Amino acid sequence: MAVIQTENLSKVYQTRNSPVQALDHLNLEVQAGEIFGYLGPNGAGKTTTIRLLLDLIRPTEGRATILGLDAQANSVELHRRIGFLPGELSLWKNLTGQEVVHFVGRVRGGVDAGYVRQLAERLQLDLTVRVRSYSSGNRRKLGLVLALMNQPELLILDEPTSGLDPLMQATFNEMMREVQREGRTVFLSSHVLSEVQAICDRVGILRHGELKAVERISSLTHAEFRWVTLRLRDTDHVASKLAGVPSVDDVEVNSDHIKLRLTGDFDPLLRAVQDTYIIDLHVHEPSLEEIFLAFYGEAR
Amino acid sequence: MPGAIFIETLRRNWRQVLYWGLGLGLLGYYVQIIVPNVDALNEYAQLLATLPPVMLQMLGIDGAAAIAKPEGFIGLGFFTYALIVMIIYGVLSGMNITASEEDAGILDVLLSLPVPRWRLIVERFAAYVLITTGIAMAGFAGLIAGGSGTALPVNPARLLSGSLNLVPAVLLVIAFTACMAALTRRRALPITILFLVASYFIDFLASATTHALTDALSKLSFFTYYDAQNVMIQGVTVGNVAVLLAAALVLIAAALWFFQRRDIGG
Repeated sequence: MAVIQTENLSKVYQTRNSPVQALDHLNLEVQAGEIFGYLGPNGAGKTTTIRLLLDLIRPTEGRATILGLDAQANSVELHRRIGFLPGELSLWKNLTGQEVVHFVGRVRGGVDAGYVRQLAERLQLDLTVRVRSYSSGNRRKLGLVLALMNQPELLILDEPTSGLDPLMQATFNEMMREVQREGRTVFLSSHVLSEVQAICDRVGILRHGELKAVERISSLTHAEFRWVTLRLRDTDHVASKLAGVPSVDDVEVNSDHIKLRLTGDFDPLLRAVQDTYIIDLHVHEPSLEEIFLAFYGEAR
Repeated sequence: MPGAIFIETLRRNWRQVLYWGLGLGLLGYYVQIIVPNVDALNEYAQLLATLPPVMLQMLGIDGAAAIAKPEGFIGLGFFTYALIVMIIYGVLSGMNITASEEDAGILDVLLSLPVPRWRLIVERFAAYVLITTGIAMAGFAGLIAGGSGTALPVNPARLLSGSLNLVPAVLLVIAFTACMAALTRRRALPITILFLVASYFIDFLASATTHALTDALSKLSFFTYYDAQNVMIQGVTVGNVAVLLAAALVLIAAALWFFQRRDIGG
Protein backbone atom coordinates (compact mmCIF):
# COMPACT_ATOMS: atom_id res chain seq x y z
CA MET A 1 0.00 0.00 0.00
CA ALA A 2 1.26 3.47 -0.87
CA VAL A 3 1.55 5.57 2.27
CA ILE A 4 2.23 8.70 0.25
CA GLN A 5 0.83 9.16 -3.22
CA THR A 6 0.88 12.35 -5.23
CA GLU A 7 -0.85 13.00 -8.53
CA ASN A 8 0.42 15.89 -10.61
CA LEU A 9 1.10 17.80 -7.42
CA SER A 10 2.20 21.30 -8.41
CA LYS A 11 2.89 24.56 -6.68
CA VAL A 12 3.47 27.96 -8.22
CA TYR A 13 4.51 30.81 -5.93
CA GLN A 14 3.41 34.25 -6.97
CA THR A 15 6.34 36.60 -6.44
CA ARG A 16 6.56 40.30 -7.16
CA ASN A 17 8.55 39.74 -10.36
CA SER A 18 7.04 36.60 -11.85
CA PRO A 19 5.42 33.30 -10.87
CA VAL A 20 7.87 30.65 -9.70
CA GLN A 21 7.15 26.97 -10.38
CA ALA A 22 8.39 25.40 -7.15
CA LEU A 23 6.96 21.95 -7.86
CA ASP A 24 5.96 20.68 -11.27
CA HIS A 25 3.46 17.82 -11.61
CA LEU A 26 4.96 15.54 -9.00
CA ASN A 27 3.88 11.92 -9.26
CA LEU A 28 5.37 9.93 -6.43
CA GLU A 29 4.59 6.83 -4.40
CA VAL A 30 6.13 5.89 -1.09
CA GLN A 31 5.35 2.39 0.12
CA ALA A 32 4.51 1.33 3.66
CA GLY A 33 7.51 0.36 5.76
CA GLU A 34 10.17 1.95 3.59
CA ILE A 35 12.65 4.69 4.30
CA PHE A 36 12.38 7.00 1.33
CA GLY A 37 15.02 9.63 0.67
CA TYR A 38 13.94 12.76 -1.10
CA LEU A 39 17.08 14.18 -2.64
CA GLY A 40 17.74 17.43 -4.34
CA PRO A 41 19.90 20.52 -4.16
CA ASN A 42 18.70 23.54 -2.19
CA GLY A 43 15.73 25.14 -3.91
CA ALA A 44 14.78 21.96 -5.78
CA GLY A 45 11.29 21.82 -4.20
CA LYS A 46 11.81 19.34 -1.34
CA THR A 47 10.45 21.59 1.39
CA THR A 48 7.58 22.71 -0.86
CA THR A 49 6.60 19.05 -1.32
CA ILE A 50 6.69 18.45 2.43
CA ARG A 51 4.64 21.57 3.19
CA LEU A 52 2.06 20.47 0.62
CA LEU A 53 1.87 17.00 2.17
CA LEU A 54 1.24 18.60 5.56
CA ASP A 55 -1.36 21.03 4.18
CA LEU A 56 0.66 24.02 5.32
CA ILE A 57 0.45 25.29 1.75
CA ARG A 58 -2.13 24.52 -0.91
CA PRO A 59 -1.38 23.02 -4.32
CA THR A 60 -1.85 25.02 -7.48
CA GLU A 61 -2.75 21.76 -9.19
CA GLY A 62 -2.95 18.07 -8.34
CA ARG A 63 -3.46 16.30 -5.05
CA ALA A 64 -1.73 14.21 -2.43
CA THR A 65 -3.01 11.20 -0.56
CA ILE A 66 -1.46 10.07 2.70
CA LEU A 67 -2.36 6.81 4.43
CA GLY A 68 -5.28 6.60 2.04
CA LEU A 69 -6.69 10.01 3.00
CA ASP A 70 -6.71 13.27 1.09
CA ALA A 71 -3.90 15.40 2.50
CA GLN A 72 -5.94 18.60 2.42
CA ALA A 73 -9.43 17.44 3.37
CA ASN A 74 -8.22 15.16 6.18
CA SER A 75 -5.23 17.15 7.38
CA VAL A 76 -6.17 17.14 11.08
CA GLU A 77 -6.75 13.38 11.15
CA LEU A 78 -3.49 12.84 9.27
CA HIS A 79 -1.52 15.09 11.60
CA ARG A 80 -2.49 12.72 14.41
CA ARG A 81 -0.70 9.96 12.52
CA ILE A 82 2.30 11.90 11.20
CA GLY A 83 5.44 13.05 12.98
CA PHE A 84 7.08 16.06 11.36
CA LEU A 85 10.45 17.74 11.67
CA PRO A 86 10.75 20.98 9.68
CA GLY A 87 13.99 21.93 7.96
CA GLU A 88 14.28 25.16 9.89
CA LEU A 89 12.91 24.34 13.30
CA SER A 90 11.62 27.33 15.25
CA LEU A 91 10.12 26.84 18.70
CA TRP A 92 9.02 28.95 21.64
CA LYS A 93 12.33 30.30 22.92
CA ASN A 94 11.16 31.02 26.47
CA LEU A 95 9.99 27.47 27.12
CA THR A 96 12.18 24.60 28.27
CA GLY A 97 12.42 21.47 26.18
CA GLN A 98 10.19 19.73 28.71
CA GLU A 99 7.54 22.46 28.49
CA VAL A 100 7.53 22.23 24.69
CA VAL A 101 7.14 18.45 24.92
CA HIS A 102 4.27 18.83 27.42
CA PHE A 103 2.47 21.36 25.25
CA VAL A 104 2.83 19.31 22.07
CA GLY A 105 1.77 16.24 24.06
CA ARG A 106 -1.36 18.02 25.33
CA VAL A 107 -2.29 19.12 21.81
CA ARG A 108 -1.81 15.54 20.65
CA GLY A 109 -4.07 14.39 23.48
CA GLY A 110 -1.45 12.77 25.67
CA VAL A 111 2.08 11.47 25.51
CA ASP A 112 4.05 8.55 26.92
CA ALA A 113 6.43 10.33 29.32
CA GLY A 114 8.63 7.24 29.64
CA TYR A 115 9.09 7.04 25.88
CA VAL A 116 9.95 10.75 25.70
CA ARG A 117 12.56 10.26 28.43
CA GLN A 118 13.98 7.30 26.55
CA LEU A 119 14.21 9.32 23.31
CA ALA A 120 15.88 12.23 25.10
CA GLU A 121 18.40 9.88 26.72
CA ARG A 122 19.28 8.24 23.43
CA LEU A 123 19.76 11.62 21.78
CA GLN A 124 21.62 12.93 24.88
CA LEU A 125 19.25 15.86 25.15
CA ASP A 126 18.70 17.77 28.40
CA LEU A 127 15.01 18.72 28.40
CA THR A 128 15.32 21.10 31.36
CA VAL A 129 17.13 23.71 29.25
CA ARG A 130 15.28 26.62 27.66
CA VAL A 131 14.95 26.46 23.87
CA ARG A 132 16.83 29.73 23.47
CA SER A 133 19.88 28.16 25.14
CA TYR A 134 19.95 25.08 22.92
CA SER A 135 22.62 24.80 20.23
CA SER A 136 21.29 24.21 16.72
CA GLY A 137 22.14 20.51 17.11
CA ASN A 138 20.21 20.24 20.38
CA ARG A 139 17.26 22.11 18.88
CA ARG A 140 17.30 19.52 16.10
CA LYS A 141 17.30 16.74 18.70
CA LEU A 142 14.30 18.30 20.40
CA GLY A 143 12.58 18.43 17.02
CA LEU A 144 13.28 14.72 16.58
CA VAL A 145 11.82 13.98 20.03
CA LEU A 146 8.68 15.95 19.07
CA ALA A 147 8.39 14.10 15.76
CA LEU A 148 8.92 10.66 17.25
CA MET A 149 7.19 10.93 20.62
CA ASN A 150 3.71 9.85 19.51
CA GLN A 151 5.15 6.89 17.55
CA PRO A 152 3.55 8.03 14.28
CA GLU A 153 2.76 5.76 11.35
CA LEU A 154 4.58 8.15 9.04
CA LEU A 155 7.58 10.34 9.76
CA ILE A 156 8.18 13.32 7.50
CA LEU A 157 11.61 14.75 8.20
CA ASP A 158 13.09 17.73 6.38
CA GLU A 159 16.90 17.62 6.48
CA PRO A 160 16.81 15.70 9.78
CA THR A 161 20.53 15.28 10.35
CA SER A 162 21.63 18.82 9.59
CA GLY A 163 23.47 20.09 12.66
CA LEU A 164 23.85 16.64 14.25
CA ASP A 165 27.36 15.40 15.02
CA PRO A 166 28.47 12.07 13.42
CA LEU A 167 27.77 10.11 16.60
CA MET A 168 24.21 11.45 16.76
CA GLN A 169 23.77 10.81 13.04
CA ALA A 170 24.56 7.16 13.77
CA THR A 171 21.99 7.16 16.60
CA PHE A 172 19.47 8.79 14.27
CA ASN A 173 20.10 6.13 11.61
CA GLU A 174 19.60 3.41 14.21
CA MET A 175 16.32 4.98 15.33
CA MET A 176 15.07 5.17 11.76
CA ARG A 177 15.84 1.49 11.21
CA GLU A 178 13.88 0.68 14.37
CA VAL A 179 10.96 2.71 13.05
CA GLN A 180 11.17 0.72 9.82
CA ARG A 181 11.32 -2.62 11.67
CA GLU A 182 8.08 -1.66 13.40
CA GLY A 183 6.48 -1.35 9.95
CA ARG A 184 6.31 2.42 10.02
CA THR A 185 7.32 4.64 7.11
CA VAL A 186 9.93 7.41 6.89
CA PHE A 187 10.02 10.15 4.27
CA LEU A 188 13.14 12.22 4.66
CA SER A 189 14.61 14.96 2.55
CA SER A 190 18.27 15.73 2.20
CA HIS A 191 20.73 17.36 -0.13
CA VAL A 192 23.55 15.09 1.03
CA LEU A 193 23.69 11.73 -0.72
CA SER A 194 25.92 10.04 1.88
CA GLU A 195 23.27 10.73 4.55
CA VAL A 196 20.50 8.98 2.70
CA GLN A 197 22.79 6.21 1.46
CA ALA A 198 23.18 4.98 5.01
CA ILE A 199 19.50 4.32 5.68
CA CYS A 200 17.24 4.74 2.67
CA ASP A 201 15.77 1.99 0.53
CA ARG A 202 14.83 4.23 -2.36
CA VAL A 203 15.45 7.81 -3.30
CA GLY A 204 13.56 10.31 -5.37
CA ILE A 205 15.72 12.91 -7.08
CA LEU A 206 14.22 16.31 -7.48
CA ARG A 207 15.64 19.09 -9.58
CA HIS A 208 14.13 22.47 -10.41
CA GLY A 209 10.78 21.27 -9.03
CA GLU A 210 10.67 18.17 -11.22
CA LEU A 211 11.07 14.60 -10.06
CA LYS A 212 13.83 13.32 -12.30
CA ALA A 213 14.02 9.77 -11.07
CA VAL A 214 13.12 7.34 -8.35
CA GLU A 215 15.85 4.77 -7.85
CA ARG A 216 16.86 2.10 -5.42
CA ILE A 217 19.80 3.46 -3.47
CA SER A 218 22.03 0.62 -4.71
CA SER A 219 21.70 1.63 -8.37
CA LEU A 220 22.42 5.25 -7.59
CA THR A 221 25.57 4.26 -5.70
CA HIS A 222 26.94 2.66 -8.86
CA ALA A 223 27.06 6.06 -10.42
CA GLU A 224 29.10 7.35 -7.57
CA PHE A 225 32.56 8.76 -8.14
CA ARG A 226 35.09 10.80 -6.23
CA TRP A 227 37.27 13.76 -7.02
CA VAL A 228 40.90 12.93 -6.23
CA THR A 229 43.69 15.48 -5.94
CA LEU A 230 47.26 14.18 -5.90
CA ARG A 231 50.07 16.57 -4.97
CA LEU A 232 53.16 15.25 -6.68
CA ARG A 233 56.87 16.09 -6.63
CA ASP A 234 56.92 15.80 -10.43
CA THR A 235 53.83 15.96 -12.64
CA ASP A 236 55.65 15.31 -15.94
CA HIS A 237 54.30 12.36 -17.92
CA VAL A 238 51.63 11.66 -15.30
CA ALA A 239 48.81 12.41 -17.73
CA SER A 240 50.09 9.81 -20.18
CA LYS A 241 50.40 7.24 -17.38
CA LEU A 242 46.79 7.85 -16.38
CA ALA A 243 45.44 7.81 -19.91
CA GLY A 244 45.00 4.07 -19.92
CA VAL A 245 43.43 3.72 -16.49
CA PRO A 246 39.76 2.85 -17.08
CA SER A 247 38.41 4.21 -13.80
CA VAL A 248 40.07 7.61 -14.25
CA ASP A 249 38.89 10.53 -16.35
CA ASP A 250 38.65 14.31 -16.39
CA VAL A 251 42.38 14.55 -15.58
CA GLU A 252 43.57 18.08 -14.98
CA VAL A 253 47.35 18.53 -14.64
CA ASN A 254 48.88 21.53 -12.85
CA SER A 255 52.47 22.36 -11.94
CA ASP A 256 52.50 20.48 -8.63
CA HIS A 257 49.24 18.57 -8.53
CA ILE A 258 46.73 16.70 -10.63
CA LYS A 259 43.01 16.51 -10.21
CA LEU A 260 40.98 13.64 -11.57
CA ARG A 261 37.66 11.87 -11.35
CA LEU A 262 37.82 8.33 -10.04
CA THR A 263 35.04 5.81 -10.48
CA GLY A 264 35.50 2.50 -8.69
CA ASP A 265 38.56 1.21 -6.83
CA PHE A 266 41.74 3.11 -5.96
CA ASP A 267 44.14 0.33 -6.87
CA PRO A 268 44.43 0.96 -10.66
CA LEU A 269 45.09 4.63 -10.00
CA LEU A 270 47.80 4.01 -7.40
CA ARG A 271 49.49 1.40 -9.58
CA ALA A 272 49.54 3.85 -12.49
CA VAL A 273 51.38 6.52 -10.47
CA GLN A 274 53.58 4.16 -8.42
CA ASP A 275 56.78 5.58 -9.95
CA THR A 276 55.85 9.10 -8.91
CA TYR A 277 56.50 10.53 -5.46
CA ILE A 278 53.12 11.43 -3.91
CA ILE A 279 53.32 14.27 -1.39
CA ASP A 280 49.64 14.40 -0.54
CA LEU A 281 46.31 12.91 -1.54
CA HIS A 282 42.84 14.40 -1.11
CA VAL A 283 39.52 12.73 -1.84
CA HIS A 284 36.37 14.87 -2.24
CA GLU A 285 32.83 13.56 -2.27
CA PRO A 286 30.99 14.77 -5.35
CA SER A 287 28.03 17.04 -4.91
CA LEU A 288 24.56 15.66 -5.45
CA GLU A 289 24.31 17.73 -8.62
CA GLU A 290 27.52 16.14 -9.95
CA ILE A 291 26.26 12.64 -9.17
CA PHE A 292 22.98 13.45 -10.75
CA LEU A 293 24.66 14.69 -13.91
CA ALA A 294 26.92 11.65 -13.98
CA PHE A 295 23.94 9.34 -13.58
CA TYR A 296 21.54 10.96 -16.01
CA GLY A 297 23.72 13.18 -18.14
CA GLU A 298 23.33 16.88 -18.81
CA ALA A 299 20.50 16.33 -21.24
CA ARG A 300 18.04 15.37 -18.55
CA MET B 1 -7.00 18.02 22.50
CA PRO B 2 -9.58 20.85 22.47
CA GLY B 3 -8.66 23.60 24.93
CA ALA B 4 -4.92 22.89 24.90
CA ILE B 5 -4.09 26.06 22.98
CA PHE B 6 -6.48 28.11 25.11
CA ILE B 7 -4.81 26.89 28.30
CA GLU B 8 -1.32 27.34 26.88
CA THR B 9 -2.12 30.89 25.76
CA LEU B 10 -3.41 31.72 29.25
CA ARG B 11 -0.39 30.03 30.86
CA ARG B 12 2.06 32.00 28.74
CA ASN B 13 0.27 35.33 28.99
CA TRP B 14 -1.17 35.50 32.50
CA ARG B 15 1.69 37.77 33.47
CA GLN B 16 0.23 40.35 31.07
CA VAL B 17 -2.65 40.74 33.51
CA LEU B 18 -0.03 41.67 36.09
CA TYR B 19 2.04 44.01 33.93
CA TRP B 20 -0.69 45.77 31.97
CA GLY B 21 -3.10 45.51 34.90
CA LEU B 22 -0.57 47.06 37.24
CA GLY B 23 -0.04 49.93 34.82
CA LEU B 24 -3.75 50.47 34.38
CA GLY B 25 -4.41 50.04 38.11
CA LEU B 26 -1.78 52.64 38.98
CA LEU B 27 -3.25 55.07 36.43
CA GLY B 28 -6.70 54.50 37.98
CA TYR B 29 -5.35 54.98 41.49
CA TYR B 30 -3.54 58.15 40.46
CA VAL B 31 -6.57 59.65 38.70
CA GLN B 32 -8.78 58.90 41.71
CA ILE B 33 -6.49 60.51 44.24
CA ILE B 34 -6.08 63.68 42.14
CA VAL B 35 -9.84 64.23 41.70
CA PRO B 36 -10.16 67.71 43.17
CA ASN B 37 -13.11 68.94 45.27
CA VAL B 38 -16.44 70.02 43.70
CA ASP B 39 -15.53 73.72 43.58
CA ALA B 40 -12.24 73.00 41.87
CA LEU B 41 -13.97 70.75 39.35
CA ASN B 42 -16.46 73.55 38.57
CA GLU B 43 -13.62 76.04 38.08
CA TYR B 44 -11.84 73.52 35.86
CA ALA B 45 -15.04 73.02 33.81
CA GLN B 46 -15.49 76.81 33.45
CA LEU B 47 -11.89 77.15 32.30
CA LEU B 48 -12.34 74.37 29.73
CA ALA B 49 -15.59 75.98 28.54
CA THR B 50 -13.57 78.99 27.38
CA LEU B 51 -11.54 76.79 25.01
CA PRO B 52 -12.66 76.33 21.39
CA PRO B 53 -14.77 73.13 20.97
CA VAL B 54 -12.24 71.77 18.46
CA MET B 55 -9.50 71.90 21.08
CA LEU B 56 -11.72 70.11 23.59
CA GLN B 57 -12.43 67.41 21.04
CA MET B 58 -8.75 66.99 20.38
CA LEU B 59 -8.27 66.40 24.11
CA GLY B 60 -11.03 63.80 24.02
CA ILE B 61 -13.46 65.95 26.02
CA ASP B 62 -17.08 65.66 24.91
CA GLY B 63 -18.34 68.63 26.87
CA ALA B 64 -16.78 70.91 29.46
CA ALA B 65 -19.82 70.57 31.76
CA ALA B 66 -19.18 66.85 32.17
CA ILE B 67 -15.84 67.58 33.79
CA ALA B 68 -17.62 69.32 36.67
CA LYS B 69 -18.66 65.90 37.95
CA PRO B 70 -16.16 63.42 39.44
CA GLU B 71 -17.51 60.72 37.07
CA GLY B 72 -16.85 62.98 34.07
CA PHE B 73 -13.38 63.78 35.32
CA ILE B 74 -12.56 60.07 35.74
CA GLY B 75 -14.13 59.32 32.36
CA LEU B 76 -11.70 61.76 30.78
CA GLY B 77 -8.68 61.32 33.07
CA PHE B 78 -8.76 57.56 33.25
CA PHE B 79 -10.98 55.83 30.72
CA THR B 80 -10.00 57.93 27.68
CA TYR B 81 -6.30 57.33 28.30
CA ALA B 82 -6.83 53.75 29.49
CA LEU B 83 -8.22 52.97 26.04
CA ILE B 84 -5.09 54.34 24.38
CA VAL B 85 -2.94 52.11 26.60
CA MET B 86 -5.17 49.13 25.97
CA ILE B 87 -5.15 49.71 22.20
CA ILE B 88 -1.38 49.08 22.25
CA TYR B 89 -2.01 45.89 24.19
CA GLY B 90 -4.78 44.92 21.76
CA VAL B 91 -2.58 45.32 18.68
CA LEU B 92 0.21 43.26 20.28
CA SER B 93 -2.26 40.55 21.29
CA GLY B 94 -3.87 40.52 17.85
CA MET B 95 -0.43 39.99 16.30
CA ASN B 96 0.17 37.14 18.75
CA ILE B 97 -2.85 35.18 17.53
CA THR B 98 -1.08 34.05 14.34
CA ALA B 99 1.27 36.66 12.87
CA SER B 100 4.13 36.60 15.39
CA GLU B 101 4.46 32.80 15.33
CA GLU B 102 4.06 32.69 11.58
CA ASP B 103 6.90 35.16 11.12
CA ALA B 104 9.05 33.16 13.55
CA GLY B 105 8.28 29.91 11.68
CA ILE B 106 6.68 28.35 14.78
CA LEU B 107 3.31 27.89 13.08
CA ASP B 108 4.82 25.16 10.90
CA VAL B 109 5.29 23.06 14.02
CA LEU B 110 1.97 24.01 15.59
CA LEU B 111 -0.12 23.40 12.47
CA SER B 112 1.60 20.07 11.80
CA LEU B 113 -0.13 18.90 15.00
CA PRO B 114 -3.76 17.74 14.99
CA VAL B 115 -5.12 21.29 15.33
CA PRO B 116 -7.56 22.76 12.83
CA ARG B 117 -6.53 26.24 11.79
CA TRP B 118 -9.83 27.72 13.01
CA ARG B 119 -9.27 26.30 16.49
CA LEU B 120 -5.94 28.06 16.80
CA ILE B 121 -7.62 31.45 16.25
CA VAL B 122 -10.74 30.71 18.31
CA GLU B 123 -8.85 29.36 21.36
CA ARG B 124 -6.27 32.16 21.28
CA PHE B 125 -8.98 34.82 20.96
CA ALA B 126 -10.96 33.25 23.80
CA ALA B 127 -7.85 33.36 26.00
CA TYR B 128 -7.33 37.03 25.16
CA VAL B 129 -10.96 37.78 26.10
CA LEU B 130 -10.16 36.53 29.60
CA ILE B 131 -6.80 38.29 29.80
CA THR B 132 -8.31 41.58 28.59
CA THR B 133 -11.09 41.33 31.17
CA GLY B 134 -8.48 40.62 33.84
CA ILE B 135 -6.52 43.74 32.89
CA ALA B 136 -9.70 45.84 32.90
CA MET B 137 -10.53 44.48 36.37
CA ALA B 138 -7.04 45.41 37.57
CA GLY B 139 -7.77 48.96 36.41
CA PHE B 140 -11.07 48.86 38.31
CA ALA B 141 -9.23 47.68 41.42
CA GLY B 142 -6.86 50.65 41.10
CA LEU B 143 -9.80 53.06 40.82
CA ILE B 144 -11.47 51.55 43.89
CA ALA B 145 -8.23 51.64 45.85
CA GLY B 146 -7.61 55.28 44.87
CA GLY B 147 -11.23 56.23 45.55
CA SER B 148 -11.15 54.93 49.11
CA GLY B 149 -8.84 57.80 50.06
CA THR B 150 -10.86 60.65 48.51
CA ALA B 151 -13.74 62.68 49.86
CA LEU B 152 -15.77 62.68 46.61
CA PRO B 153 -18.11 59.73 46.28
CA VAL B 154 -18.05 57.97 42.91
CA ASN B 155 -20.49 55.16 42.36
CA PRO B 156 -18.43 51.92 42.22
CA ALA B 157 -20.99 50.44 39.82
CA ARG B 158 -20.16 53.21 37.35
CA LEU B 159 -16.46 52.53 37.76
CA LEU B 160 -17.12 48.84 37.09
CA SER B 161 -19.25 49.71 34.03
CA GLY B 162 -16.53 52.00 32.74
CA SER B 163 -13.88 49.34 33.28
CA LEU B 164 -15.93 46.63 31.56
CA ASN B 165 -16.70 49.07 28.75
CA LEU B 166 -13.01 48.91 27.84
CA VAL B 167 -13.26 45.21 27.00
CA PRO B 168 -15.42 45.27 23.82
CA ALA B 169 -13.35 48.09 22.31
CA VAL B 170 -10.08 46.26 22.99
CA LEU B 171 -11.51 42.98 21.68
CA LEU B 172 -12.40 44.80 18.49
CA VAL B 173 -8.78 45.96 18.14
CA ILE B 174 -7.51 42.42 18.80
CA ALA B 175 -9.98 40.97 16.28
CA PHE B 176 -9.15 43.58 13.64
CA THR B 177 -5.41 42.96 13.99
CA ALA B 178 -5.92 39.17 13.93
CA CYS B 179 -8.11 39.48 10.84
CA MET B 180 -5.53 41.60 9.03
CA ALA B 181 -2.80 39.14 10.05
CA ALA B 182 -4.87 36.27 8.68
CA LEU B 183 -5.39 38.16 5.46
CA THR B 184 -2.09 39.95 4.89
CA ARG B 185 0.31 38.52 7.48
CA ARG B 186 3.21 41.02 7.78
CA ARG B 187 1.20 44.00 6.62
CA ALA B 188 -1.23 43.60 9.54
CA LEU B 189 0.61 46.07 11.78
CA PRO B 190 0.68 49.10 9.43
CA ILE B 191 -2.91 48.43 8.31
CA THR B 192 -4.10 48.27 11.94
CA ILE B 193 -2.27 51.48 12.81
CA LEU B 194 -3.89 53.16 9.79
CA PHE B 195 -7.30 51.86 10.91
CA LEU B 196 -6.81 53.22 14.44
CA VAL B 197 -5.61 56.64 13.28
CA ALA B 198 -8.43 56.88 10.74
CA SER B 199 -11.00 55.87 13.39
CA TYR B 200 -9.70 58.54 15.73
CA PHE B 201 -9.85 61.29 13.10
CA ILE B 202 -13.30 60.26 11.88
CA ASP B 203 -14.55 60.44 15.47
CA PHE B 204 -12.78 63.75 16.06
CA LEU B 205 -14.16 65.32 12.87
CA ALA B 206 -17.68 64.16 13.68
CA SER B 207 -17.45 65.68 17.17
CA ALA B 208 -15.89 68.94 16.00
CA THR B 209 -18.30 69.59 13.11
CA THR B 210 -22.02 69.25 12.53
CA HIS B 211 -21.87 68.12 8.90
CA ALA B 212 -24.16 65.23 7.96
CA LEU B 213 -21.32 63.41 6.20
CA THR B 214 -18.99 63.44 9.20
CA ASP B 215 -21.89 62.36 11.37
CA ALA B 216 -22.55 59.43 9.08
CA LEU B 217 -18.86 58.59 8.90
CA SER B 218 -18.58 58.61 12.68
CA LYS B 219 -20.61 55.40 12.71
CA LEU B 220 -17.56 53.73 11.16
CA SER B 221 -15.26 54.74 14.01
CA PHE B 222 -15.11 52.38 16.95
CA PHE B 223 -14.25 55.35 19.23
CA THR B 224 -17.84 56.52 18.70
CA TYR B 225 -19.12 53.36 20.39
CA TYR B 226 -16.61 53.46 23.23
CA ASP B 227 -17.74 56.87 24.57
CA ALA B 228 -16.01 56.69 27.98
CA GLN B 229 -17.37 59.91 29.50
CA ASN B 230 -20.96 59.10 28.65
CA VAL B 231 -20.60 55.63 30.20
CA MET B 232 -19.34 57.17 33.44
CA ILE B 233 -22.16 59.69 33.60
CA GLN B 234 -25.14 57.78 32.17
CA GLY B 235 -24.03 54.17 32.31
CA VAL B 236 -23.30 51.63 29.61
CA THR B 237 -25.18 51.93 26.32
CA VAL B 238 -26.07 48.35 25.46
CA GLY B 239 -26.34 49.17 21.75
CA ASN B 240 -22.78 50.48 21.63
CA VAL B 241 -21.40 47.42 23.40
CA ALA B 242 -23.39 45.16 21.09
CA VAL B 243 -22.02 46.92 17.99
CA LEU B 244 -18.43 46.56 19.22
CA LEU B 245 -18.84 42.89 20.18
CA ALA B 246 -20.64 42.05 16.95
CA ALA B 247 -17.93 43.76 14.90
CA ALA B 248 -15.25 41.83 16.83
CA LEU B 249 -17.03 38.54 16.17
CA VAL B 250 -17.45 39.32 12.47
CA LEU B 251 -13.75 40.17 12.22
CA ILE B 252 -12.77 36.93 13.98
CA ALA B 253 -15.06 34.98 11.65
CA ALA B 254 -13.37 36.72 8.71
CA ALA B 255 -9.96 35.87 10.18
CA LEU B 256 -10.97 32.19 10.31
CA TRP B 257 -12.14 32.31 6.71
CA PHE B 258 -8.97 33.96 5.39
CA PHE B 259 -6.59 31.87 7.50
CA GLN B 260 -8.26 28.62 6.48
CA ARG B 261 -7.70 29.33 2.82
CA ARG B 262 -4.19 30.61 2.51
CA ASP B 263 -0.63 29.25 2.56
CA ILE B 264 1.15 29.33 5.89
CA GLY B 265 4.60 30.83 6.35
CA GLY B 266 7.26 30.20 3.74
